Amino acid sequence: MIAAACLTLAFIHLSIWARESTRLSHLLFAILALAVAGLAAAEMLMMRAETIEEFGSAQRWLQVPAFVVVVSTVWFVRTFLGAGRLWLAYTVCALRLLSLIFNFSTGVNLSYSEITGLRQLELWGGEHVSAAYGVFNPWQRVAQLSLLLLVAYVMDAAFTAWRRGDRDKRRRAASVGGSIAFFLLMAGTHYGLVLEHVIPPPYVGAPAFLAMLVAMGYELGSDVFRAGRLDGQLRISNAHLQESERRFGAMADAAPVMIWMAGTDRLCTFFNRGWLAFTGRSIDQELGNGWTGGVHPADLDHCIRMYSDAFNAHRDFSMEYRLRRHDGEYRWVLDSGVPRVEADGTFLGYVGSAVDVTDLRKTEAEAAQQRNELAHLSRVAMLGELSGSLAHELNQPLAAILSNAQAAQRILGRGAGNIDEILEILKDIVADDKRAGEVIKRLRTLFRKEEVRYRALEVNDVALDVLKMMRSDLLNRDVAVRTELAAGLPQVDGDPVQLQQVLLNLVMNGCDAMDGVPGERRLTLRTAAAAGGEIEVSVADRGRGIPPADLQRIFEPFVSTKTEGLGLGLAVCRTIVAAHAGRLWAANNRDGGASFHFTLPAKRDSDERTGADRLSG
Amino acid sequence: MSEPAPTVYLVDDDISVLRGLGRLLAAAGLKVAAFASPGEFLRSFDPAGPGCLVLDVAMPELSGPELQQALAARRSELPIVFLTGQGDIPTSVQAMKRGAADFLTKPVDEETLLAAIRSALERDRSLRKAQEELARIERRVASLTPREREVLERVVEGRLNKQIAAELGTVEKTIKVHRASVMQKMGVRTLADLVRLAGRAGVKR
Repeated sequence: MIAAACLTLAFIHLSIWARESTRLSHLLFAILALAVAGLAAAEMLMMRAETIEEFGSAQRWLQVPAFVVVVSTVWFVRTFLGAGRLWLAYTVCALRLLSLIFNFSTGVNLSYSEITGLRQLELWGGEHVSAAYGVFNPWQRVAQLSLLLLVAYVMDAAFTAWRRGDRDKRRRAASVGGSIAFFLLMAGTHYGLVLEHVIPPPYVGAPAFLAMLVAMGYELGSDVFRAGRLDGQLRISNAHLQESERRFGAMADAAPVMIWMAGTDRLCTFFNRGWLAFTGRSIDQELGNGWTGGVHPADLDHCIRMYSDAFNAHRDFSMEYRLRRHDGEYRWVLDSGVPRVEADGTFLGYVGSAVDVTDLRKTEAEAAQQRNELAHLSRVAMLGELSGSLAHELNQPLAAILSNAQAAQRILGRGAGNIDEILEILKDIVADDKRAGEVIKRLRTLFRKEEVRYRALEVNDVALDVLKMMRSDLLNRDVAVRTELAAGLPQVDGDPVQLQQVLLNLVMNGCDAMDGVPGERRLTLRTAAAAGGEIEVSVADRGRGIPPADLQRIFEPFVSTKTEGLGLGLAVCRTIVAAHAGRLWAANNRDGGASFHFTLPAKRDSDERTGADRLSG
Repeated sequence: MSEPAPTVYLVDDDISVLRGLGRLLAAAGLKVAAFASPGEFLRSFDPAGPGCLVLDVAMPELSGPELQQALAARRSELPIVFLTGQGDIPTSVQAMKRGAADFLTKPVDEETLLAAIRSALERDRSLRKAQEELARIERRVASLTPREREVLERVVEGRLNKQIAAELGTVEKTIKVHRASVMQKMGVRTLADLVRLAGRAGVKR
């Protein structure tokens, strides 16, 4: 029965070893199991022996599987635990070999020098077994020593593995080392006690070895089981990985954008179908640095520089460049990339997407152009309203020039001219002429219809220019202007003409609001730094205020609260301010009247206008 | 008796215009007093002297028409020539209605300006002459005794001496004496002259 169990174990582990030949421990375990089976068979023969010869022979041959058991145990421990002193291992094996030699060369066998007789012993089950008596072979001490050393070797190996290993290895060391040592000691002690006649024969070693085998087999089996589980998990996660890769590929191909990926070396490793369809090139043409072949030569340097800079810093990037489409036309694409980073922060490369923004930019440019034209029309209409005032501004210097010139004519005509006085007059004429020129220049700027030019400007300058232009209109309408212009405001990025237009509009609206209102007509023009690095400009009047329901509506086109007026002024103002990335709104003052506010973002040094501007450029 | 030279007052808040106009008028031989604000002008203006005012319509503090009103409040009839940088018709109509001497648009040619100033000064002189005459008449009326004034009032109404005597409860002869005295004091010889003077002086019962 023991032999059958051992053979089964041996077969199982042999098959495992046969499938995965790298697992030497399974082979050794199988050999060990076979040897234990042999041991059991030999012991069976001894117990069934009828004659002294039969008994002696069986006991002699028993030493062969015993030798194999010891040697395979030594090497199993070494391979399975990965520990054990080599010299000890060799010593054990050598002693056991020596025991085998003594077994065949001295006495009847290693146990007896001479067997004098056989006895029949009755076991607990009523079964009768044979046991010998005679003179013990002194050389059997060598075998006993080898067993003791084996125990020492196993214990030492187990301790080493325990010290070195993690939780799993420790358990393995404790159970394998512990069980081998325990059962060896048990078998050895039993044998010794039988030999010394302390307890009666028979001596049976196989059950102890079987128990040892079972303990080792359990460990080895759990190893196999664990490996199997890991293998299963690996297979599942591989399937997941493949699935997600397949899904990514399908998604990337179905996406209406162009998608690319690059490795850590900046070379592109993937382009989706969208990209290839756009460029009309094959994946092999695009891979690596091939894609740069489709970039417009004028944009190439900029494009590569941004790409490399972002790569070096592992930073997100977004850039626009022209890419050749399959039909040969260069289209503007907006290409954005983000670094791919693993959970532990390892940089894996980049993934990015590009979209064709040519049509979008064209539409934007057209919208901008329409907005500018509307702004121009509205400006011209507004200047019409202001014409009287502007004529005054121009007529003042002209009047001074004319009077001065005619005075000089008179002085010279009298013939009694004082040169100094004439020079003084001429100086005044020149100054007034320049002044008239300034007025005309300002007017022409407002009337002209040219491309909008953003540049750095001081909001306060814009405000003062507007007040200069409106000076006589304000006088005529008996409106006093108070200015509260904050000093040291950051510059804004804007078109001076359009911003003047907004302020002119707001100031004129403020004056209109105070028409026919009793009390002081005062307009307060204020500039201040607002939250978020913005600059706020406000125009507050002391008119009737705006009905709350109209606070939003007045910015809609063709909505006017005035009897004459197209109702475009504020709508245009709002689009102008929005184009400057600001906001325009109205509110009623707590102490009467209304105020209009608009914000403009402070100019940043790195501001670079792209898009519509680049399209036209 | 020679009249003092008339002064042309110039008021314009635009300094360069003020200087140019001042030079031109001075070169044309006029006596000029230039002010950059209506306030300055009002502080140093002497209503007694002859002259005229050349005034810019649009000025902060006090506009041209407002200054015109301020002068009227001081019972000054200084003729005003308005100057404007813009042909603002409502303002000019208003100014003319209030008695502006002229309304000119800048830039103004010297001939036009000088002509306007000359006519304004002429107007000032005749105004002053009329005022002086009126003052003289009023002084004469003031020199009459109460009885003489009563007689004058009734003579102007066209009553006969007899009627006047009856009304005042006296005799016709006495009325004749008073009437002669009135004629003498008023410096007239004919009844027609007396009636004209009494009318100008606003003598009424």
